[in-house]
Amino acid sequence: MAAACGRLLPRSAAAGLAGLTLTAARPALPGRCFSSSSCRISSDGKPAKFQPPPKPVIIDRQKQREERRFLSPEFIPPRGRTDPLKFYIERKDMIQRRKVFNIPEFYVGSVLAVTTADPYANEKANRFVGICIQRGGKGLGATFVLRNVIEGQGVEICYELYSPRVQAIEVLKLEKRLDDNLMYLRDALPEYSTFDVNMKPVSHLDHEEIPVNKLQVRMKPKPWSKRWERPKYNIKGIKFELPEKKMKEAQKWSQPWLEFDMLREYDTSKIEEKIWKEVNEELKK
Amino acid sequence: MRQLGFVVRHVNSTTWWHEHLSEENVQFLKKITAEEYKAQTASKLCPLKDEPWPLNDWKPDSIRVGVVAVKLGMMPIWTKSGKKHAVTLLKVQDCHVLRYISKEESGGKTSKLLVGGKNASPFFKSESAMKIFKEAGVPRKQKVATFNVTDDAIIKPGTPLYAAHFRPGQFVDVTAKTIGKGFQGVMKRWGFKGQPASHGQTKTHRRPGAISTNKAAKVYRGKKMPGKMGNIYRTSFGLKVWRINTKHDIIYVNGSVPGHTNCLVKVRDSKLPTYKDCNKNPPFPTFFADGDEKLPEDLYDKEIFQFTDPSVTYA
Repeated sequence: MAAACGRLLPRSAAAGLAGLTLTAARPALPGRCFSSSSCRISSDGKPAKFQPPPKPVIIDRQKQREERRFLSPEFIPPRGRTDPLKFYIERKDMIQRRKVFNIPEFYVGSVLAVTTADPYANEKANRFVGICIQRGGKGLGATFVLRNVIEGQGVEICYELYSPRVQAIEVLKLEKRLDDNLMYLRDALPEYSTFDVNMKPVSHLDHEEIPVNKLQVRMKPKPWSKRWERPKYNIKGIKFELPEKKMKEAQKWSQPWLEFDMLREYDTSKIEEKIWKEVNEELKK
Repeated sequence: MRQLGFVVRHVNSTTWWHEHLSEENVQFLKKITAEEYKAQTASKLCPLKDEPWPLNDWKPDSIRVGVVAVKLGMMPIWTKSGKKHAVTLLKVQDCHVLRYISKEESGGKTSKLLVGGKNASPFFKSESAMKIFKEAGVPRKQKVATFNVTDDAIIKPGTPLYAAHFRPGQFVDVTAKTIGKGFQGVMKRWGFKGQPASHGQTKTHRRPGAISTNKAAKVYRGKKMPGKMGNIYRTSFGLKVWRINTKHDIIYVNGSVPGHTNCLVKVRDSKLPTYKDCNKNPPFPTFFADGDEKLPEDLYDKEIFQFTDPSVTYA
């Protein structure tokens, strides 16, 4: 099928095919299609040796998609003395819920729209659009906080991922930011937290990397709810317009020994591998 | 007469179990006991060879045996109306009945049944301590609990007990040793208010203040004072059972339970008069796994939201 494509279409059009990219293995015969075997006549007049068409190099996007693994952070068990059986039982329930209800992949900094069932609303459903500023909790009690500014009032709602009251979670814009926790948006100018409630979902192709928005946010004048300039918060996404003296003073609270503390190390790579395999197998069933 | 313990030196003549054994023998013993334990726990029948004891029917007055379980942790669950509740997972791990003590023998009002929990190593206890376990044909247990039982609910020693002994919708009492906090002051231990942090207080911020009156001229017995807090047995009453997992023997019990994670707890049917009607017709005297009853893997209470259902809507 791919070879037939290579014969029928010129090379430039072939690049537009979704999922498959064809590059000719041999250097250019200009735009000309290869003739079929029946009318092969070389310049000598003698029947020419059969030259097979160049093998198309297929870059399989599906494999690339599978290689990019995303394991939702609430699957990774916290460090402690609990029996792994308890996490296994909880994971079974989480997978069961995911089979019935689709929880999409999203990160802190992506814009989501969540519809929940509400007995006191008209239509009995409530839709809220906002940017995800925090993902907390492990296991079934995992939560995420969405923030938006509605009619000048900042609103943050904390939703439980596995609550049966959520009817739908759609990702309107899938992107990452420079930090894992965007609580500083409370002290940033409101334009950085406003998102249109009727926003159209921005399409994201499966094989592309998740874009990292390197936006540096401008803050309201101090006092802030937390001293975000201090190194313990390690925030990269704020454009600090504070004087140099204040920034240097904030570095007094730095704890440079923390990154070398071996007791705080928690290597989750092997645990993630095992859980990824388990979750994938269960979801495919 | 002052104690002269520091003058007399004790000669410790005890040995540990493998001091005089060769390496090979130690490995062999360990392997043998592991296999023996597996065989004993896997057999669902009672290991003792005499006839089974008579099975009676449940009456409203009968009190049946409880179970010894391991506290695994806590988890949220949701009801069909969308409300969230926190539940504790209790795993019934290798629970066997150890001994039957009749009313006359114990000297109490009812007969007693000794029940043992999680398996433990047999090598670090004396022969006399291991006697009970040997007589029942059961591995050595980490915790032994006593249950007061009516005479129609007695069970033969050696029978295993499972989580299916309880059913969703019934109420239980859970007893365990609370987390030990050590020597604590009066504010944490008894909830006293202490004194203000400033305004002239000299060295007095967390002290009890006055301990008695002038007229009493003494301190009453039981006065709340600083001391060791925690590490005592306490019971949570009237906890609802939401769900039972028969494959892994886990009971999902409403609310919190005293004790740290992986501690052993004693679970029994609730004695509270409000729940007398909810505990009707339980598996009596216990749930026998070798019987004909085949239970599904998960038993749910009717209020609970199962994750196989679609999301909750308020129509």
